[in-house]
Amino acid sequence: MVSIPPPGRATDQLDLSVVAPLYNESQNVGPLVEWILEALAGYSGSFEVILVDDGSRDDTWARVAAASASDPRVRGLGLGQNVGQTAAMMAGFDHARGRVVVSLDGDLQNDPRDIPALLAKLDEGYDLVCGWRQQRQDKFLLRKVPSWVANRIIRRLTGVQITDNGCSLKAYRRDLLDRISLYAEQHRFIPALSASVGARITEMPVRHHARRFGESKYGISRTVKVLVDLLTLKMITTFHSRPLLGFGTLAVPMVVGALLFAAMAVVAALEFQPSKAEALVFPGAALLCAGAAFYLLMLGLVAEVALNSERESANEIPTAWEVR
Amino acid sequence: MGQGVLMEPSLEPSRAGSGADTRFISVVVPVVERADDLLALYLSFAAELDSRGEEHEFVFVFDGGFSPPPELSALSQERVNLRFLRFARAFGETAALRLGIERSRGDVILTLPAYFQVRPEGVGMLLEALSDETDMVVANRSPRIDGWLNRLQSVAFNRMIAGVTDRPFHDIACGVRVMRRTVAEGLPLYGDLHRFIPALALREGYRVTEVAVPQHPGNARTRLYGPGVYARRLLDLAAFFFLAKFTEKPLRFFGLVGSGFFLAGAVTSLVLLVNRIEGQGIANRPLLLLAVLLLALGVQLLGLGLIGEIIVHLRAPHRRAYRVRERT
Repeated sequence: MVSIPPPGRATDQLDLSVVAPLYNESQNVGPLVEWILEALAGYSGSFEVILVDDGSRDDTWARVAAASASDPRVRGLGLGQNVGQTAAMMAGFDHARGRVVVSLDGDLQNDPRDIPALLAKLDEGYDLVCGWRQQRQDKFLLRKVPSWVANRIIRRLTGVQITDNGCSLKAYRRDLLDRISLYAEQHRFIPALSASVGARITEMPVRHHARRFGESKYGISRTVKVLVDLLTLKMITTFHSRPLLGFGTLAVPMVVGALLFAAMAVVAALEFQPSKAEALVFPGAALLCAGAAFYLLMLGLVAEVALNSERESANEIPTAWEVR
Repeated sequence: MGQGVLMEPSLEPSRAGSGADTRFISVVVPVVERADDLLALYLSFAAELDSRGEEHEFVFVFDGGFSPPPELSALSQERVNLRFLRFARAFGETAALRLGIERSRGDVILTLPAYFQVRPEGVGMLLEALSDETDMVVANRSPRIDGWLNRLQSVAFNRMIAGVTDRPFHDIACGVRVMRRTVAEGLPLYGDLHRFIPALALREGYRVTEVAVPQHPGNARTRLYGPGVYARRLLDLAAFFFLAKFTEKPLRFFGLVGSGFFLAGAVTSLVLLVNRIEGQGIANRPLLLLAVLLLALGVQLLGLGLIGEIIVHLRAPHRRAYRVRERT
């Protein structure tokens, strides 16, 4: 973990940056660059392609460097070690000079020919356009079912109506990227995180291809992790500026339980004659719930105190957009 | 950790921008816990560096309770490139290393324990291995000439660490390491993490090489520590493991353990409830206590994980998990 501020943005702004993270995609580098340049041949503005090598163990970096040498619009970014897709994308975003940034997978499963359509959609007045993979070319049980379940839960929990959160093909406005800092494995939650800072979000269908070279880097084990991450997401999108409220919400069922058990204790004491030891169960349960509620509220206070110093630097003002 | 000491700005200008062929080596020697004859140490290693034509300085950092031996002090009167820094009280090796790194001037940092671990010529081997392709070179005392008990301890420690690091190291506890200044300053050194310097560097994205270096005969004495020392090593290891895996996602850890406890408590309560409906008394059963304890622990751990997540989230704008090595 590095505690340095992200690199200062270059002053020479471009219209568009295309960011693609690559991990052990040696065979895909050449076709990917070719494809992107082909897709952008009709693009009128200035653009750059940023290939982020996420500490690959094969010769991905050599290919990236070669591609960069043959076309000045292609830039390579070699990371010191494998840091995962989110951090690699963040590296690309930090170094991107475009007023609009498009991210896509480095494995050729996204189709760069969709980029112009995404840009057109963005111009309709959105800050984030998410791709929605049509006829997804992945294994059904291992990839599609978990993804379908995860997307449903994400929609329910965050209220952000994006069908396909896992699609890497997205177009962002620079202003939005300046407002969100992705870490851990948050690339899946970009729509929800963007919505929490007030971005205008939409989605559109994009093409999806089967993998041509290399191997998928995902497995089913990540689904469990995604569920834990969802709890985090809920906490930070809803309560990060007022943790006491979050912990208070968690404490509500505890308080209800405490009252319920207390009532039962009273009823039990009045209605029947339990053995002496038996009389402890209901009051005990009531005390446990009350204790947990109290503990959660205290934690909420600790969070408030801990955050106080961080707040100064944190971005507390929600994003507002200039209306023309 | 009174690291206020470390915040003092360095007075010496750093020798930045020196050419590749005229490097300046700062030897940082933390004098902590254990020290051999420092004069002999200084003379033999300085002689090795001199014979290789390397420009160098020695910075001894004395932890609380240690002070420069008189002969060495006398020598420092005539040699400018032999300097002493001293903590007023014991701050430990990590703090000593940080102070030494901060107050030294070289573009290459060589850390050296205050006792003979490797033969002086081993330092030359490390310096030769430091090239454009590597950022840090660590010594691997090999072949080991000490007894089986030392070797057993060393192997056990390294095995345990290898389970946590991205790549196994064979002698991570060896304090003889060579690194560029930028690397030394980029390491998140605090607490008692000095033992994990190679692993930290690796995690920060630097390239770390191990070089086999002959062990010094003086290092062969059998060492057996008290139980407290081993317990502290284990805690260091646990701390490093946690930092490596969960700094960015505390809820992955606390949430998993917490919900495990909570589920176990819920199941236990359910069993008790069924028993009660069947007509058994449950109030005098220890299982009830267990259920209560598990539920309470589960809630506590989940709450702690959430606090961690909020703190991580608010620090996110200033932190980056990647380090760019090359750009085109």
